[in-house]
Amino acid sequence: MRKDSVNRSNSSSNLSGSNRANSSNRLNSSSGSNHLSGLRGSNGLSGLRGFFEWYPVFLREMLMFRRKLMKLGYLFSAMVVPIIYLVTFGLGLGRNVQIQGSDYLTYLLPGLVAMSSMNNSYTWVASALNLNRLYFKTFQVFVQAPIRPSSIMIGEVLAGMVKGLFASALILIVGFIVSRDLSITPLFVVTLLLNCFLFSCLGVIVGMITKSHEDTSTYNNFFILPMAFFSGTFFPVDRMPELLKYLVYMLPLTHTNIVIRQTIPDAAGLLSLGVLAAYALAFFIAGSRLISNYSE
Amino acid sequence: MITITGLAKTYGTIRAVHDLSLSIGGGEVFGLLGPNGAGKTTTIKMLTLLASPTAGSATIDGLSIASDKLQIKRCISVVPQENNLDRELTAYENLQIYSMLHGISDYRTKIEACLNLVELWDRRDSLINKFSGGMQRRLLIARALLSDPKVLFLDEPSIGLDPQIRRQMWDVIRKTRIDGRTVILTTHYIEEAEALCDRVGIMTKGTLIALDTPANLLSMVGEYVVEYVNGEGKLMQQICRNREEAHAAAQGRECCVTIRKSNLEDVFIRLTGDRIE
Repeated sequence: MRKDSVNRSNSSSNLSGSNRANSSNRLNSSSGSNHLSGLRGSNGLSGLRGFFEWYPVFLREMLMFRRKLMKLGYLFSAMVVPIIYLVTFGLGLGRNVQIQGSDYLTYLLPGLVAMSSMNNSYTWVASALNLNRLYFKTFQVFVQAPIRPSSIMIGEVLAGMVKGLFASALILIVGFIVSRDLSITPLFVVTLLLNCFLFSCLGVIVGMITKSHEDTSTYNNFFILPMAFFSGTFFPVDRMPELLKYLVYMLPLTHTNIVIRQTIPDAAGLLSLGVLAAYALAFFIAGSRLISNYSE
Repeated sequence: MITITGLAKTYGTIRAVHDLSLSIGGGEVFGLLGPNGAGKTTTIKMLTLLASPTAGSATIDGLSIASDKLQIKRCISVVPQENNLDRELTAYENLQIYSMLHGISDYRTKIEACLNLVELWDRRDSLINKFSGGMQRRLLIARALLSDPKVLFLDEPSIGLDPQIRRQMWDVIRKTRIDGRTVILTTHYIEEAEALCDRVGIMTKGTLIALDTPANLLSMVGEYVVEYVNGEGKLMQQICRNREEAHAAAQGRECCVTIRKSNLEDVFIRLTGDRIE
């Protein structure tokens, strides 16, 4: 199992300094090194470990997330924003509004789930990655670990998805209390998962390219905030001015809002699912590349 | 164990490391000594795959830092200059995540052994936020030892620690060189390099200006230093080859005369004209 150590002892031929403890000592020694024999002995990644390389990256985020959840303040602040939107737009402004043949609250709730899942998946990943990379330097522990860049990407994205899904669940709980017409279909779940995935991937991209923590709020103000309001969360995109409409149809959240309100996807819904899948793939590849090319 | 050839790193117009070439043997404790900004940390970052070199090459255990990254990551560990422990996790959780990242299967036993080595097993369930600076540095070393690395990199291992804690840290570092492990450390503390290193490379402005054992480097300048204050109130130094020469040099000096053993800072001053700060 220690064959690699034997082979490598040849590389010490150019030693110019102390050579008191040579590599044969290492081979003969039993203390403190046996635990690694399995790891060192295998030159490629063993299949199962290779497949689950992302798990520690994910677990780390989950351990910290669990601690945050235990703080009542966090739970309260996570619930306050969707409730404000619901009360302001759903129960206040939209009380007597009808959209697409149903009451406004029924129209609004899936949009709020899409928006909130986007916000939470994106913001948590982008902000955490930015801070971990630039200030806490904990991201460097992943970079220096013997795992593939795509595993770091998967771990971060899955953690972002959990946070996005958690925020969505909070809205759905409130939604089920205030509306009797809210239903969760398989298409709703698939769209929600896809939305969380692609915005977590976008979070990784922004977290990797920003040069300071302040930068993340710039991206937030230019991309995420307009998307939250213009992409069909609060009103159908059809009501937008013609010129702006084309721009809005390029945004991923617009397509999430189209599909998430359907039970069985029509042609437009299928097209939107395709657009979301394409965005998800492109963002995933871009995020993995950025991690792979990381250099200080 | 490590061979560096013409390694260079440039940030814009700043040459952080320039044409660095050296080799480090297996089982050696090698120190890179120099002032802040000398290029020590950049060198470590290139060797530990955090930064890509602008030019040159390096091998660790026969593996190239350009093409064998995953294999190199399996045989090295790093204690970074800045604490990069997760502050919101406990000591045990930090080590658990690290173990899983490095594919250590029986990590529970190993974590216990490493935490005992740095005398932190009793604090395993404390959050890092509650740890002192010295405890965090010790935990970083424990974490680095988990994967039983062939090469251990320590970037300024005792920076910011008070002198007493620093000596405790040295004891921990001495314990890490079991089993023929190669240790590479950077420091700007003269006494640290003298106390721990088999060989020392002195760097300034991105360039290696001297490389030898501490004893040989000291013999370059002379064994003793006479310090005195001159007529203008300025602290002066005179390096002497032996005790007799030092006594002769001290004769006739009127103010604040001290005779002391020379140290690596004197070597640095001799080579560069500057102090290590």
